[in-house]
Amino acid sequence: MSRWRPGPISIIVFVAALLPMCELMLPQSAHITEAVRGVFLYAILALGLNVVTGYAGLLNLGIAAFMAIGAYAFAILTCEIYPFQFGFWPGLLLTLPIGALFGFLLGAPTLRLRGDYLAIVTLGFGEIVQDVLKNLDTITKGTQGINPVPAPSFGGSMWTADDEYKWYYLLLALMVVVILGVRNLERSRLGRAWFSIREDELASRSMGIRVERIKMLAFSAAAAIAAFAGGISASMLSSTGEPSNYDFQVSVLALCIVIVGGIGSIAGVLVGALVMIGLNSIVLVKATAALDALGIGAQGNVLLSPNNWKYLIFGLALVLAVRLKPHGLVPPRIERRAS
Amino acid sequence: MQDSEVFLQQLITGLSNGMIIALIALGYTMVYGIIELINFAHGDVFMLGAFLALTLLGMFGMEAWPQHWQLAGVVLMLVSCAAFCGTLNWSLDRLAYRPLRRASKLSLLVSAIGCSFICTNLGLFWGGMPMDVFAGGVAAAAPKDFPQLVPQYNLLGESAVRVVPADIAVLVVTIPLMIALVYLVKRTRLGRAMRAVAQDSTAAALMGIPVDRVIGVTFFIGGALGGFASVVYALYNNTIGFQMGYRAGMDAFTAAVLGGIGSLPGAVLGGLTIGCVRAMSDQYVETRWTNTIVFGILVLILIFRPSGLLGSTRREKV
Amino acid sequence: MTHHALCVLSLALTSSLGCTAWAQSTESKGTLTILSSLPRTGSANAQTTTIVNGIKLAIAEAGGQVDGWTIAYQDLDDASPQRGNWDPAVEAQNANAATKDATCIAYIGTFNSGAAKVAMPILNRAGIVMVSPANTYPGLTKPGKGEPNEPMVYRPTGTVSYFRIVPTDDLQGVQAADWAKQLGAKKVFVLHDRELYGKGIADVFCDHAKTIGVEIIGFDGTDSKAANYRSLVTKIKAVSPDLVYFGGTTQTNAGQIAKDLRAGGYEGMYMVPDGCFEQAFIEAAGDSNLNGNTYITFGGLPADQLTGRGAAFRDAYHAKYGSDPEAYAAYGYEAARVVLQAIAEAKTRDRAGVLAAVAATKNFDGVLGRWSFDANGDTSSRVLSGQTVKDGKFVFVKVLGG
Repeated sequence: MSRWRPGPISIIVFVAALLPMCELMLPQSAHITEAVRGVFLYAILALGLNVVTGYAGLLNLGIAAFMAIGAYAFAILTCEIYPFQFGFWPGLLLTLPIGALFGFLLGAPTLRLRGDYLAIVTLGFGEIVQDVLKNLDTITKGTQGINPVPAPSFGGSMWTADDEYKWYYLLLALMVVVILGVRNLERSRLGRAWFSIREDELASRSMGIRVERIKMLAFSAAAAIAAFAGGISASMLSSTGEPSNYDFQVSVLALCIVIVGGIGSIAGVLVGALVMIGLNSIVLVKATAALDALGIGAQGNVLLSPNNWKYLIFGLALVLAVRLKPHGLVPPRIERRAS
Repeated sequence: MQDSEVFLQQLITGLSNGMIIALIALGYTMVYGIIELINFAHGDVFMLGAFLALTLLGMFGMEAWPQHWQLAGVVLMLVSCAAFCGTLNWSLDRLAYRPLRRASKLSLLVSAIGCSFICTNLGLFWGGMPMDVFAGGVAAAAPKDFPQLVPQYNLLGESAVRVVPADIAVLVVTIPLMIALVYLVKRTRLGRAMRAVAQDSTAAALMGIPVDRVIGVTFFIGGALGGFASVVYALYNNTIGFQMGYRAGMDAFTAAVLGGIGSLPGAVLGGLTIGCVRAMSDQYVETRWTNTIVFGILVLILIFRPSGLLGSTRREKV
Repeated sequence: MTHHALCVLSLALTSSLGCTAWAQSTESKGTLTILSSLPRTGSANAQTTTIVNGIKLAIAEAGGQVDGWTIAYQDLDDASPQRGNWDPAVEAQNANAATKDATCIAYIGTFNSGAAKVAMPILNRAGIVMVSPANTYPGLTKPGKGEPNEPMVYRPTGTVSYFRIVPTDDLQGVQAADWAKQLGAKKVFVLHDRELYGKGIADVFCDHAKTIGVEIIGFDGTDSKAANYRSLVTKIKAVSPDLVYFGGTTQTNAGQIAKDLRAGGYEGMYMVPDGCFEQAFIEAAGDSNLNGNTYITFGGLPADQLTGRGAAFRDAYHAKYGSDPEAYAAYGYEAARVVLQAIAEAKTRDRAGVLAAVAATKNFDGVLGRWSFDANGDTSSRVLSGQTVKDGKFVFVKVLGG
């Protein structure tokens, strides 16, 4: 504690904070801050998943469901067509306990399950949440989505999508808050208990750790953070989108971010989000646009359209990433037992 | 139709669908049993098998063949798709999974997810093939019609309950395969080796079992079952598409877990359960709630039987 | 990190260099960009490819320029690979990219009405005209048809900047129900795919059917990823309806439902909306399963019923892409032509000028008929047509409504 040395996390945050200023010097077509906002959002979601999967070692394939719960809860609490009409900040803060509650509801009956049995239950929960959101359309508006979801307003008028740098710094700030939060958890007694049950559940139990309670807390914390991400996302898009915007693919993406980045490592999650979302929303988008501008593509042949290669490139990136860096791009400093 | 006839009809539909799910689930459960990997790419390997079947059908113009020749055509498809999917699954293991044997299980899972994306994309490309059976490949992403090689008339004549030859075809292909598989695993030297590796791969290696080769063979057999399933699926549903692996894979994976992952009879029981639950929910509840009911039942069963219906309750190794 | 940034930078440079070269080679007054934002990755790719073909054809026919101004076109994808479907974040990103591109004067999109909800307020604030070739959710334009706050929430500046050339669900659903009655259907089983489009049109169909005395004997949402619908068909058959209406599209499995209805021994009628008015639907369903008793509604006249403009479009499309244009190709072509004509007639070649010119579109001679935009931004065209399928081809039956 005596001398502060910048770690990877602070470097990433620092560079991210400077990015908009650098960007203003570049031509319009090279602007990426908006896509980087997506990186922050997914980083928050993946930080949540990292708590349950990285720290406590419980594979969760339904994290997107909690994001959906957060987005819809936020919308219902704040949107003008519902009676509650909390403001942005109270609404956003309320997503945390609501997410935690749902995490508890899912966790309570299922934590007895081991490994992949738990994974399939979380996957099923993800499907159930989507179906319920779709089918209870009197409350959730079904596939219409709820809109407009309010944006924050600091002294006066509400932000719009035009205030891109305000949004950028808000997301960055919220991400930093979440980072600080999970880092404190990681270093707390609770965090050590999580690592302990991840490494050896039986030994932890015999050391007096109340395994069920500890697992439950991991589940709830992850759900709360994911719900928080959902609330932010709904506000940023001013709409919840439709329930299938929070499907299994989103959970899978979050999982890929955590594992490719380095499971259990906060810096890893940030790098993972940057690489995965950056690949999807920045590199592939800009590359497709560039190829399109050069007149390549859409000649009728399926192979010639750059859009048709996106799955393949994304898949290859995943395979290569874990092949070359099996412990993640930025592995956690605490050495894991070889398993 | 009387209520009892409706019930019987739903049971038949549920069992037929369940058999197909079970056949795919066997591939999941075998791979899981041996290296504890949820092989996410399995559903997509299955999907590519169906595309191969349609390609063969188009190449040889099987639609125009006389009836008994078409039967031979189906056998040809079954054999080729099984060989193709088996080889593909084996290659995935060789290229994407084997290098990660010593890495964590989750890295392996991500590798499988990556393979699944790659296979999905290959399916999209395949759908753009300029052949008549792919509608000229104009709309690569559109669902493709798989011609009816198995006729749709009612075997029970004028009865309100329908049993079509496709229902029988499902049984004729899947049941012998399941018996053969159980025989292979329980009675042969290879099967013993597979079970030994599943129990403890280090001990198996020390006993002189070529672990990697046994794992490769397991992938091949699992993939081949997916290949058989793809032909049966295509003949039964008459539509294939590049995204069909997702739902088929998810149903099959759920079935494998429901039955007790790693257990062969469990996978079959899980598949049949899911098929029947789906049919009954469509009939007696509402289709829009079917997924909720399937997963709700899954959660309930796992709460009371944490290792699935037929899973072993052996304690996890410490 | 550095490598990553370099990658992006170099790509961006290549693309901007490409643009400059293009602008210099044609001595133009400047470049006006039309963007389209459609789901190009995943299951909607088949339909959106025909839309893009239609747009490109319209621009090519104009010679890539209007009155000395070069028309640039960019085909943006609002889907992402991990979603395989439209992604609200990507849609917002596309809309924001449009607002920041100073040359962008028109935005063609979206495909999904849900995506339109995201893009509309963003583009409205920037004053960019948005023309949708496919959105049919009524609340986007029509007061009183959606939520109480619609459509004003999509128009933060108060002006109408969103237009669509397709008739909305509340028209098509009504016409479909009327047609079902004329066809002799007394008991109807209604299905929908639980998507915004399918559910919306099925709801309208139901409501109208009840008022004209057609009995709705079942209403259910399907699972568009299911392998088959045999058990659903058994349920349908047990109550023996005269007609099954499915609010959905080819990509949400309208073909498979047709197949399973026939395989399950159902012999009544089957009706679907314009989301299925494409050859891919017939390919997916297998023509023998559709012959004679399948009915498709479409918001316009099919290409072969059109004279003049429509016939020329059909021939030009066939010459360029080797296949007949389909519903979505016509919608895409029409949307692009509306924009091009507006550019030609605009007093100023900027966003405001083009927006005003699009809003003033009157008696437009298009492939969907002769129509105008009304004050809400909807097409005035009330002409819908009914089709059936014979021998693997759509056959025009009649004009619905008038």
